[in-house]
Amino acid sequence: MSGEVLQLAQSYQLEFAKCDSNQKYHYAALRLAQRLASLTLTSFKKGAETAQDVLLMLDPSVHTMVYAYALFARIATAPSTSTASDSFRPGGNIWKLICHFLENADPVQLRYVGEQWSHIVDFVASMARLAGTPEAAIEPILSALYRLDPNTGTFTMAHLCFVQLCVETRNYAAAEPILANYIHAVNPSIPDLVESLEYSAPAEDHDSSAEYIKAGSGHAGKVTIQAVQEYYLLGTTAYLGLRKFKKARDFVEHVLVMPYSNGAANGFLIEAYKKWLLLSCLVDGVVPPLPRSTNNAAMRAVKAVSKAYEALADAFKNRGNVRKLRAMINAGRDTWLEDGNYGLVNELLDGQYRIFISQLSQTYSAIPISKISSWDATLESDELAGYLEKLIREGYINAKLETSSSKPEMGVVLRFFMDAREGPQAKSEKQQQQALVEQTQRTQKLAQQVQSAHYRVGVQDEYVEYVVRQNKKAAATAGDPMDLGQYEDVEVAGAAMDAHDEDLMGD
Amino acid sequence: MVVDPEQSPFFKDRRAQGCIVVRELPKFDLESYISNYDGPTRILRLRHIGSHSPYLAVDAYRMAISQAKEGKNVQLYTDLVEQFNQIAPDDPLATKDDAWVEKKKQDVKAEGERLNHELRAYKNNLIQESIRMGNEDLGHFYAACGDHAEAVRAFNRMRDNCTSPKQIADMNLRLVVNYIAQSAWMAVQTSLIKLEAVGLRPEEKSKLDPVISACYGLSYMCTGNYLDAANSFINTSSSFMTMEPVGGVQWQREVISANDVAVYGGLCALASMDRNELQTNVLGDSNFRNFLELEPHIRRAITLFCNSKYSACLEVLEGYRTDYLLDMYLCDRLSVIYGKIRTKSIVQYFVPFSCVTLEEMASKFGTGDENASIEDELAKMISTGLLNARIDLVDGLLISPPTNLRHDVHSNALAMAEKYEHTLQLRLTRLNLLNAGMSIKPDKSKEGGPFTPGEGGYAAL
Repeated sequence: MSGEVLQLAQSYQLEFAKCDSNQKYHYAALRLAQRLASLTLTSFKKGAETAQDVLLMLDPSVHTMVYAYALFARIATAPSTSTASDSFRPGGNIWKLICHFLENADPVQLRYVGEQWSHIVDFVASMARLAGTPEAAIEPILSALYRLDPNTGTFTMAHLCFVQLCVETRNYAAAEPILANYIHAVNPSIPDLVESLEYSAPAEDHDSSAEYIKAGSGHAGKVTIQAVQEYYLLGTTAYLGLRKFKKARDFVEHVLVMPYSNGAANGFLIEAYKKWLLLSCLVDGVVPPLPRSTNNAAMRAVKAVSKAYEALADAFKNRGNVRKLRAMINAGRDTWLEDGNYGLVNELLDGQYRIFISQLSQTYSAIPISKISSWDATLESDELAGYLEKLIREGYINAKLETSSSKPEMGVVLRFFMDAREGPQAKSEKQQQQALVEQTQRTQKLAQQVQSAHYRVGVQDEYVEYVVRQNKKAAATAGDPMDLGQYEDVEVAGAAMDAHDEDLMGD
Repeated sequence: MVVDPEQSPFFKDRRAQGCIVVRELPKFDLESYISNYDGPTRILRLRHIGSHSPYLAVDAYRMAISQAKEGKNVQLYTDLVEQFNQIAPDDPLATKDDAWVEKKKQDVKAEGERLNHELRAYKNNLIQESIRMGNEDLGHFYAACGDHAEAVRAFNRMRDNCTSPKQIADMNLRLVVNYIAQSAWMAVQTSLIKLEAVGLRPEEKSKLDPVISACYGLSYMCTGNYLDAANSFINTSSSFMTMEPVGGVQWQREVISANDVAVYGGLCALASMDRNELQTNVLGDSNFRNFLELEPHIRRAITLFCNSKYSACLEVLEGYRTDYLLDMYLCDRLSVIYGKIRTKSIVQYFVPFSCVTLEEMASKFGTGDENASIEDELAKMISTGLLNARIDLVDGLLISPPTNLRHDVHSNALAMAEKYEHTLQLRLTRLNLLNAGMSIKPDKSKEGGPFTPGEGGYAAL
């Protein structure tokens, strides 16, 4: 009888309304979750496909928890996905209800039904794929991510699933807002002991989503480092699709700095390194040193299998030798095709020329474009004008094309703006200041997130043990005054250590 | 039949090898120029002139060969005769005097054996002073034969038997001479350092100082360190010109003449110092003024540079290019030194202007190289960061870019902040993964379980 579920929903709606503190809300939510978990799947299905259907009777924005369980039950008991009825498929009745739920669910209640939520998101993705319309799932999953966490900075498998769908359907622009919200937490967890000491229920008002999307909360799914690697690589592909090379390069660097113990590398790392080489060429013109904290042994292994790409980067650096680069690109065609980097490699040809042009601004203030084409015959003067216009439009060079009135025989002239306050790329001081202020805010927010990540590390048992060991070592090396700098690093370590000691005493 | 030396096989070969061959007549007179030098240096300088200037080749080789015949260096003699034979085969001196060669070879061999024998005898007697002198004689003998490596070895063996600081100083001086002959400039510097460290009495030390600084200057110049070279030359006391032989060597005649100090010092200073430094350290130095009086055109060039008359300065130097190419130490470095002076002149010339036409630049500085236009030269200087300017090829202008410090500071700050933010994000990713105990592991690289704690992860943070 669906009445049981409805009754439960209504009674808790009243109870939630009565809660005058977040703490009470938290306990009520826990009780409800317990009650819901004790119900059988079939009890949610009673009256399905009729007017008495729980899914139709309840409002997902109010009875979010009950609704999540009901949807979960409906999906779980649905016939296997391949034979699922039309109502589950994009456009079907249930599909619409699911989308409505993902878009309108109560964000606080969602924090208590992590497993159900992630299961529903998975289901949406697999259904859309099954129906041959993966793009249909992009919108619902995007709203699901935003509904749960407006900052989408805590990694969940739904992130990966979303980016996969975007890249699969080449809908790169859709992925961008999520990619732009950098990941500030992955499987955050703090020991139960610490968690019970300081009060941090999911229902509290949190600054960071890492406080309620945790290792045990079920939202994130089974996160592995490979999933994180894949997320960053797919993100790189998406930025590439949008032709935002610098962002792509920044993104792929995340894969390079991940921990690789004992020099172990995997395919993701190899692919990341290859892309990083090519992207660095496009962005800076030369390959910069690897980011710090990359694993040397792993990078050695990776470099050994990326020789072709390193040779390519070398040829790129040597500007003015387009023929060599072109020959290398042709010679390695199979390699690039096999790695799926053919498009990117071809981009190098254009990139080399573009960097050649933009470096002219370092030496010249005005050049007739016939002169440019006499130096580098990649493009004839008439094509060149169009190309330069494109570069100006895309913001690669701060310049204009003009015909000199005093010397018309020179033809079209490329004139660079020497003063950064002039030309299409000009920035007024006010704009700069604005940019600086925005940057400051972003950095401050980031610093906060780093601090909380630092805190999570600081209270890990292993870290506490590490500090204890270090202390012992320091004490053993004679009575020189303790290096305080070491502790500033982890202000929380002391507190955590006390907790640890108490724990030992209790035993 | 007199063959034009320039068409001789010797100079054809030299040109084919890409060596410098000086066509123009030098300003100096060979006789008076070479009369400044004595000993092996004289032969070497003559040979350098002979092998670089077709006009002076015959005279230079003649003098060199007749001097070589007075010495013990048979190899040098045969080399000189062979080279001369390719230039002027009909000259009486161009045929090898086999009898002399044979006799000299035997004499040298006998003398070498005698000296070695004597040294062995001294060693048996265990008299320190005799052993030292035995080695010294042997060193001098080898040096005279042109075997500098062996000479260095012999002089180095003296070290154990030296009993007074004076002896150690003399030994080091001899090493310096031999290293200079070998062009082993780093070894010259090491020996000079040792020489400085010898605890001599002040009056002896003051005799040594001019030699030390002149040799430092020479070795710095030959290793391309022009600023240090200039300072060393400038610090060379003017007593260098008239001093007595030190350590048995008349330095201003056998190694580097006072005129050389003036020329080398002046050129190195022009190549490495800015206008103020030149004014106070070079022209204003009362000591170095004595040297500059020997070479008035160097002083004129420096004065012109200080008075911002760069093209006149370059003209003066250009006039003496031939002379300097015939100097054995300057020859290989002259283009670098002149290039530096020219670049500096262009940079200094441009400083007070915000805009100069390229024609004006070309008329002031001409073109250093026939093939390159002034534009290319300027473009190269700009791209290597020597000159802060932009070229306007349309109106033919060299423009000084407007500076906007405020804007630059802002953009730099923004760029740095962005970089910092990105680095922080990377660190955060790493920190998070380590905290979650995630890392790629060698064995189970395919599954890397989500909750396996990373080993030693925190130490690596």
